[in-house]
Amino acid sequence: MIKDFEYLAPKTLKEALTLLDKYRDECKVIAGGQSLLILMRQRLVTPEYLIDIKGLSELNFIASDAREGIKIGALATHRAIEKSPAMKNGFSVLGEMERRLASVQTRNWGTIGGNICHGDPAGDPAPVLIALKSTLKIASLRGERTIPVEDFTLDYFETALEPDELLTEIQVPLPLPHTGTAYSKFNIIESDAATVGVAVSLTLGSGSGVCKDARIALGASAPTPMRAKKAEGVLHGKKITDTLLREAGVVASTEAEPISDIAASAEYRRELVKVLVARVGKEALARAQQA
Amino acid sequence: MKRELRLTVNGQPYELYVKPKTLLVEALRKHLGLTGTKRGCESSSCGACTVILNGMAVKSCSILALQANGAEVVTVEGLADGEKLHPLQRAFLDYGAFQCGFCTAGMLASAKVLLDENPKPTEQQIRECIDGNICRCTGYNSIIRAITAVVNGEYKEEK
Amino acid sequence: MSEYSVIGKPVHRVDGPAKVTGSAKYTFDIELPNMLYGKILRSPYPHATILNIDTTKAEKLVGVKAVVTGKDTLGVKNGVWRRFPELCDEEILCRTKVRYIGDPVAAVAAVDEDVAEVALDLIDVEYEMLPAVFDPLEAMKEDAPQIHEGVERNINVTRRIEWGDVDEDFKKCDFIREEQFYSTPQAHLCMETHGAVADFGYDGKLTVWTSTQSNYFIQALLAGMLGMREGDVRVIKPPSGGAFGSKFELDSAQFCAALLSQKLRHPVKIILNREEEFTATKRKTPMNYHVKVGAKKDGTLLAKEVRVITEGGAYTAMGATALYLTGFYSSLPYKWRSYRYDGYRVYTNTAPASALRGFGAPQAYFAGESIIDMIAEDMKMDPLEIRRKNAVTPHYEVPGQAYIQSCGLSGCYDAVEQYMKERGKLPANRGIGIGNYGFMSGGVFNWFDTPYAFSAAMVKINIDGKVDLFTGACDTGQGSDTALSMICAEELGVHLDDIRIHAEDSNIGPADLGAWGSRQTLMSGNAVKMAAADAKRQLTEFAYAKLSPNVVYEMDIKDHWIYLADRPERRVSYFDIVKEAIRAKEGQVIIGRGHYTPHLKGMVSPAWGFGVQAVEVEVDPETGKFKLIEIFTAHDCGQVINPVAVLGQVEGATMMAAGGAFCEDQPSDNGKILNPSIADYKVIRSLDMPKTVAIEVETYEPEGPFGAKETGEGLTSPTGGAIANAVYNAVGARIKDLPITPEKIFKALKEKEHQKGKRVK
Repeated sequence: MIKDFEYLAPKTLKEALTLLDKYRDECKVIAGGQSLLILMRQRLVTPEYLIDIKGLSELNFIASDAREGIKIGALATHRAIEKSPAMKNGFSVLGEMERRLASVQTRNWGTIGGNICHGDPAGDPAPVLIALKSTLKIASLRGERTIPVEDFTLDYFETALEPDELLTEIQVPLPLPHTGTAYSKFNIIESDAATVGVAVSLTLGSGSGVCKDARIALGASAPTPMRAKKAEGVLHGKKITDTLLREAGVVASTEAEPISDIAASAEYRRELVKVLVARVGKEALARAQQA
Repeated sequence: MKRELRLTVNGQPYELYVKPKTLLVEALRKHLGLTGTKRGCESSSCGACTVILNGMAVKSCSILALQANGAEVVTVEGLADGEKLHPLQRAFLDYGAFQCGFCTAGMLASAKVLLDENPKPTEQQIRECIDGNICRCTGYNSIIRAITAVVNGEYKEEK
Repeated sequence: MSEYSVIGKPVHRVDGPAKVTGSAKYTFDIELPNMLYGKILRSPYPHATILNIDTTKAEKLVGVKAVVTGKDTLGVKNGVWRRFPELCDEEILCRTKVRYIGDPVAAVAAVDEDVAEVALDLIDVEYEMLPAVFDPLEAMKEDAPQIHEGVERNINVTRRIEWGDVDEDFKKCDFIREEQFYSTPQAHLCMETHGAVADFGYDGKLTVWTSTQSNYFIQALLAGMLGMREGDVRVIKPPSGGAFGSKFELDSAQFCAALLSQKLRHPVKIILNREEEFTATKRKTPMNYHVKVGAKKDGTLLAKEVRVITEGGAYTAMGATALYLTGFYSSLPYKWRSYRYDGYRVYTNTAPASALRGFGAPQAYFAGESIIDMIAEDMKMDPLEIRRKNAVTPHYEVPGQAYIQSCGLSGCYDAVEQYMKERGKLPANRGIGIGNYGFMSGGVFNWFDTPYAFSAAMVKINIDGKVDLFTGACDTGQGSDTALSMICAEELGVHLDDIRIHAEDSNIGPADLGAWGSRQTLMSGNAVKMAAADAKRQLTEFAYAKLSPNVVYEMDIKDHWIYLADRPERRVSYFDIVKEAIRAKEGQVIIGRGHYTPHLKGMVSPAWGFGVQAVEVEVDPETGKFKLIEIFTAHDCGQVINPVAVLGQVEGATMMAAGGAFCEDQPSDNGKILNPSIADYKVIRSLDMPKTVAIEVETYEPEGPFGAKETGEGLTSPTGGAIANAVYNAVGARIKDLPITPEKIFKALKEKEHQKGKRVK
């Protein structure tokens, strides 16, 4: 059973930040609560104060700009992102990822900000955002700061968010020309969380077809979502072939630090990384060639 | 300390006083006596508690009642119009789209939202819309058949 | 068949309108005035002595009304095998020791669930740890910790089934295969968890509302545990949110709620949460199989030897029956000249293993149908051909065990053969696997109070022609209320909506053993048919006198008309006759009585359902993941009563069986189940469910009402083996221990590659 708490529903961001500053470790923030309420029901999390920010409409938006890319408010729901017309071309991978996230019900109420702040290494959004070179805007009474998504999660369910800070926005820059990004996760039941998740983004040189830039982001393969930088190095500056992608997959599997749990062994997770990096890379390449 | 909660359920406005930790499903079942919506788990995984909130299918066990302040909620009890069953309810009866019936309220809520949003979904889309609802009895295919029958116009409302 | 007016046609379930409108009130929904809420404290240790339980702090908590422990019970050891006291080994509220993680030690009743839960934390239990054992093979060793006093090497039950001489026959075989198989535990995962509302009145009588498969069992077991007269215990079954074999034994919610209510004279409600449901209710029996089969080169199966060791868990529960049945089903559906089965049920400090839909058959057929494909491959014989050649046939006797009357296997094979022809050649990495089965239609064995299985029913015709049908059969969602109402209406010659069924209340319903062992369509159905026939006879006698024909004619009733069978135009209205008959009987309503007990039908079942299933899978050889593409089932349940319900049972059973074969599992660590939540216990959802095609092969079962047999349990049998065979046919990976996971397939394929590489060298 959930332990009793004091409920606060600030009406503005400023109000919310003021409350966070006041209560710090005594409080928790609830947005969609799709992850938080499970923890509270099990009494793993028992705040004295619960700050409900779900009503802060100023944080609920999806804005696209021809030069700056997409800005997603932390309170945008997974469903809104899934259905957003802004998720096209280079951003279509975001809509696709959201479509396979949990269930319609969870997506209708859960927010992308809440998902990222939960710090689950198996989460779907983080690897995709990392592949898309996204950054996070974080606010507190002390001011604002930005941090790349790939630096945000520090350990299992632990993020770089300070007790008085709130995630306000996710910034996804416009992909460079000839960039393709794809994401795939492995699971046994269709809507299940990732046993292993892989996002790959490839940028090709115009005309040359040589890889100018590569990003390989792994989910559920380490204590945090991670970039397989050595594997990216395998692709950098080369012409991408199936063989090269397989090689990148093998390297990525050595960079991963997966665990063994009831879903899969660490060894098998490494095998999945190999396979998925090659497959997702191939899809990303096809998209880059069309872009 | 209890807080005031105002919401509309099945077209009827209510004013309640609830502890902040009250979940929406508890407010509906215990405070309003609407026991049609069930609970099947504590991990937000089974979907038996699905209701319609501001036109969206949501798991009422995973929403604080206070977060539904000012919202319009529809539960299974609000689907029929007096004695006139909703087409989905009639289809469920005809196609045997339920057996023990415990998941049915949630299934109907998910299905209704789908059809309100998209009157001509594909089979894939129908399966996606109820993927968050576990049924242990039917094997789902009869539910798909029932929803498809409504989509195909087998239950056109008589005007 | 068009000769029937009611049965064989699709109908709305009689409980349908309540369920689709949310107005059906389940045990889960019951709220009574002055009701208290209960919670159960359970052992966190797999094996320990209870030294002391201090409940004082909990009792002092504001809002707590009572706390009970084993000391507040009569110390009765409960068990469903009541005719065998040594198998009644479960106190439910443990008095001296706990035997698995989840074993109850105390229960609290409070003003609300929150207070009750806080109170549990305030109960101090002092345990002394005992060495525990989790693997049945370990538990059978001489030096293993003893779980129940006096039970040596923890061997709880043994069973042998034998005919012919397997050792001699193996010598005559041209082909022999010997393999090990393992079948995992599985959770029932009823959408409505176990629960009860108990109301012990000041008159000393107890009423219990509970989600159950058998009012009859719960009434007797509860009375025994509380030292009460059975007639003073009333069990009411509201609409039930599923059971699948988990709800015909006395459970902790029922017992603790009753005990607390007895103490307080207030209604007490206990609903188990999902974690308790996964860890502390009974589950499917995990089984270790050693199988040896032998055949002659012409494809005749000759001998089969099976040795099974089951992980019994902490108590006997219904595990003794599962042990017998798995050995019996291991012989079906083939004719073996010789057969030997040795089964051992071993106590372990794990969750008690009992009955889950199929009751030993899914395990037996997983092993049996896998090994048949394996030996068929050795003999270069087609998998359908070897099955067809050796299948049981109508009027076959399983030597000394059972007699089969109707058997539609031949028609099922024809259908599957046709289906596979139409499927044609499959693309790469796809395969079709076959499984078939025979399954009991009404377990005869009764170990409860008499050796006889029985059902009884009563029909009451009211003056307006409305019919009240009284039965003790339980509808747990499988649709027995509707099927029995249909049988009644058909026999009586009225419409389905003339029938009002009363099946929930032990005070009202005649005795019926309940919904397990696939017995209700056949056994309860026969009782209902007989009761309806009895009432019908009373009406036709009246009508006969009224029509006063010159020649002796048979009479019948159809569609509210009572008529001379050979001269149907000579008829009178059912409604008129009912009124006149009642008037002539001085206002007494017409009552018909019926009952059924199988006579001379052997120890297992009076009739058998059959089926053949083809499962198509597509395997991703790089990861081992497979997708279920389509499942085709040819099914023989005799006369179909409600076709919509039968299809629902085919599809639902297939889903449950498929889940048990590839994604459902309960991994554990030192007796602790690691995935006791629906988030971690994986089940098939709508996106995972493949297309299903089902066809009915019509047979007529003389023992069944209108020729009907069971549907819905036997269908869990073939899918595991069919999936294993399909995966093998697709990519050559043979998985012999469930669940068939991608990781196992991946490893098997890697091993195959490795072997191929070695051979090339």
